[in-house]
Amino acid sequence: MPTVPNHDHLAQENRPDAARRLSQDDTRFALGRIAGFQYLTVAVFLFLLTGFWVLQVRDGETNSQLAERNRIKTVPVLAPRGKILDRDGRVIVDNQAAFSLMLARENLKDEHIDGIAAGLNLDAAEIRARIKRFASRPKYVPVLVKQDLTPADIAFVESHRDADTYPEMELVRNQQRLYPRTGLAAHTIGYVGEVSEPELNSAEFAKYSQGDIVGKAGLERQYNDLLIGIDGQRRVVVDSSGREREVLESTEATPGNSLHLTLDLDLQAVAELALEGKRGAVVALDPRTGEVLSMVSRPAFDPNAFAGHITAEYWKQLTSGNDNPMLNRAIQAQFAPGSTFKPIMALAGLETGTIEDHDTFHCPGGATFFGRYFKCWQKKGHGTVNLHHSIVQSCDVFFYNLGNKLGIDEIARYAEMAGIGKKTGIDLPGEAEGLMPSTKWKLRTQRQKWYAGETISVAIGQGAVTVTPLQLASAIGGVVSGGVWYKPHLVKTAAAAEPRRAEFRPENVASIVSGMYGVVNEGGTGAGARIEGVEFSGKTGSAQRVSNDLRKSGLLDKDQTSDNGWFIGFAPRQNPEIVVAVLLEGGEHGALAAPVARDVIKSYFDKKIRVTQQTTLQPPLALLHPPGR
Amino acid sequence: MEFLLHRYRNQTVLLAAILAQLALLAYQVKSDGEVRLIRVWAIGAVTPLARVIEAARSSTVHFFRDYFVLLDVREDNQRLKTDLDHVRMENQFLRSELSTADRARALALFQQQSQSKTIAAHVIGNTTAVSAKVVIIDRGTGSGVQKGMAVITPDGIVGKVTGAYPTASYVLLITDPSFAAGVLSQKHRVHGTLKGQGYGTVLIDYVQSEQKVEPGEWFYTSGDDRIFPKGLPVGEVSVVRPGKAYQQIFVTPSGMRNGLEEVLVVVEGVHGPIPENPPGFQPVHMQDPPPAEADAESSALPGAPSVTQVTPARSGPQATDADKMVDRYRQIGEAERRVYGQSGGGAPNFNINLPPASPVTAAPPASPSRPSPSPSAKRP
Repeated sequence: MPTVPNHDHLAQENRPDAARRLSQDDTRFALGRIAGFQYLTVAVFLFLLTGFWVLQVRDGETNSQLAERNRIKTVPVLAPRGKILDRDGRVIVDNQAAFSLMLARENLKDEHIDGIAAGLNLDAAEIRARIKRFASRPKYVPVLVKQDLTPADIAFVESHRDADTYPEMELVRNQQRLYPRTGLAAHTIGYVGEVSEPELNSAEFAKYSQGDIVGKAGLERQYNDLLIGIDGQRRVVVDSSGREREVLESTEATPGNSLHLTLDLDLQAVAELALEGKRGAVVALDPRTGEVLSMVSRPAFDPNAFAGHITAEYWKQLTSGNDNPMLNRAIQAQFAPGSTFKPIMALAGLETGTIEDHDTFHCPGGATFFGRYFKCWQKKGHGTVNLHHSIVQSCDVFFYNLGNKLGIDEIARYAEMAGIGKKTGIDLPGEAEGLMPSTKWKLRTQRQKWYAGETISVAIGQGAVTVTPLQLASAIGGVVSGGVWYKPHLVKTAAAAEPRRAEFRPENVASIVSGMYGVVNEGGTGAGARIEGVEFSGKTGSAQRVSNDLRKSGLLDKDQTSDNGWFIGFAPRQNPEIVVAVLLEGGEHGALAAPVARDVIKSYFDKKIRVTQQTTLQPPLALLHPPGR
Repeated sequence: MEFLLHRYRNQTVLLAAILAQLALLAYQVKSDGEVRLIRVWAIGAVTPLARVIEAARSSTVHFFRDYFVLLDVREDNQRLKTDLDHVRMENQFLRSELSTADRARALALFQQQSQSKTIAAHVIGNTTAVSAKVVIIDRGTGSGVQKGMAVITPDGIVGKVTGAYPTASYVLLITDPSFAAGVLSQKHRVHGTLKGQGYGTVLIDYVQSEQKVEPGEWFYTSGDDRIFPKGLPVGEVSVVRPGKAYQQIFVTPSGMRNGLEEVLVVVEGVHGPIPENPPGFQPVHMQDPPPAEADAESSALPGAPSVTQVTPARSGPQATDADKMVDRYRQIGEAERRVYGQSGGGAPNFNINLPPASPVTAAPPASPSRPSPSPSAKRP
């Protein structure tokens, strides 16, 4: 009987081996998996290391640049100042595109300042001081380093403001003041500049901050709050070269308001040209309103030079020598008015009843008062002259006698009534007062009594009396208008302020006007200013600047000792529309100043003709555009 | 019948064959054919098969024959190609050597002639970024190269050193968007700032609209940037377009037009003058003009310039109405032969016929086409 193999037995015998084999297989499998995992981990790490190497080593610089390129900056948007326009809306002061350099303090490195200063021809110490002044302001507020960059400056900034060189440099486009390049109305308009530390401590500029551009002189300063705009700002993402990639936040700038002046560019241009190469001033007013039609002071300066940073060389040029171009002679030059004071003397004499229109004095070429001989400008004398002829011929002896009769306090009363010795209140900073002496004045200022002999000099506009051209124009304009003085002003206002008034007898005013008409039209001292067809009246004046003794001493050259030439004129004779005061420093005689006023007056009336013709020839709008079409 | 056929099948087949043979013999005799009919049938039956077999054979033979022949051609071709490659490589190498020698000679010549002190360098690589235009040169601080130095070729400017290391330096090319340099036009002396655009041409920025720049005009370095000495060629104007604030002037840089393998690093720059003529300009010889005829005759010739002096326009573009007004009254004074503010001659007539200076809002000047009014007749 065949034996059947016992498989169970075999199975029992092989079970441990199988289990062992199975266990070994499992171990191998696990070991394999662990090894695989280890290899995988190593591979992952190798991959990461490779990536790290690529990012940090191979492309490290490029990636660094890319990271640097995307940065957020606060860029100021500088508001343009308002324009300044003449009475007809013509632009006197405009704005032009310019570039300024600012340093971002967020990433400013002190070691870069020397290089930046060298590249832009600036003083590194000055830049550091400027940065220091900004210390109290938020870090994102940049520091203004240079305005009105030249093409060379822009080239330097653009080529060095990359991430590797001077990334703190920011090129900011702004609107810079564009003033008349001829220096036209420079003193009246003024100029702008960066607010200074002492100014910031003053009440006038306390609300401004470091780096702000404010009006420094003239109308720019007077109406700074009106002209200045409100700066905006933009938070932008920029690349390493400063190019904007994205605007995160933007606040637009608000431009300043335009300023409409009373100045007439036609008259201003003529007055400027008439004073070219001379030292002096011209003021033209409308006595009916007080509007200043023209205001010139020469020599002038170029306000554009102040719009950026004025060069030391130009500043030295302005401040050295005797010309003093920064002085606004129209409102700040205080000189004896000479014979232009005589109309006020005549008014005082007539109004007080000291003289009558027909009263006469004899002029032999001089007269003695209080033991001193006072000469008339006409050595041979004027003979017997009445008030009219004394004005026409500007006879000194007549007014010596009148002054002697009036006394200084009566003279002062009428002169002050006309505005002599007081600021006119024009809307310009820095106006001078002039001086009208009186007994009280001398006692107050010099603790001395007034001597009657001093009155004789004052009677012909010499001695202590001084005026500014504006004062003279305002005073005479008011007198010939019958005693109405409007406050001179340069900015057009909706309604004229209430004028000062004085009750003068019309016949007295007419006598004075008649005399002044004769000065120009009856062979008087101002005959050279006659204008065909225009009732132009005026009065010349020559005033000593130094005493005769000093003049003779030879200590001063002729330029410093020559008499000042004055002229005050108005037109038309009745209800004058324009009054012009001219001062020629060292101009010798008023007769030489008269043609300046003549040209200004002529341009005024010629323009009236043009305007009238334009109005006449212009067809009514209804004819040009019939209804229904 | 079926039974008979089945029973005498052999006989029947034989009989049928004989009858068919007889019929065919009769047909052949009657048709007078020279070829035996059986042959025709045989050939007709065999030919298609033979054709197929022959075609197969022929194809096979041809295939194998062509294959072996092609094997030779391919080898020949491979050999020839290899030879050609060798020749090409040799040619390229020789050309490269020649070009290198030319460039080296040009660089050496430029170095001799240039007043600036320069050192030659080879371009050994470039960076991996797409937009950045940066190359690496084999000269570094060890050779005197410093960050910020100018890099040029005899043909023009190339870039500036942005990073200097002991044996190599990074050079930012002028085509990089972050590159800028001060430039000056050769013909009209217009200042501007060169800016890279990230591609072949560069932009000249900050040139105002009223400044004249023409296509074909050359730009040179102005020296304003404190990187490049003045007087180095930059490139030729390819496009001039009016822009919003400034003109858009595109220039094709000349410094890299012959490749960028060898460059010069300016270690001590000396400013030079702007050349009178653009690079490569060859003046054309011109004969002296004939002696001048009488003035009257010459002025009578068509196209002859007028001898009348034209007063130049004094009001530049950057002027306000105030400047224009001063210019206008100055012209009136000249026309009236008056000096303002001087006695004698009286006051000028301010309403004479002159071109209008500027529009006046309330009081426009007299129209030039309208006759000037007589002041004496119409003055109030």
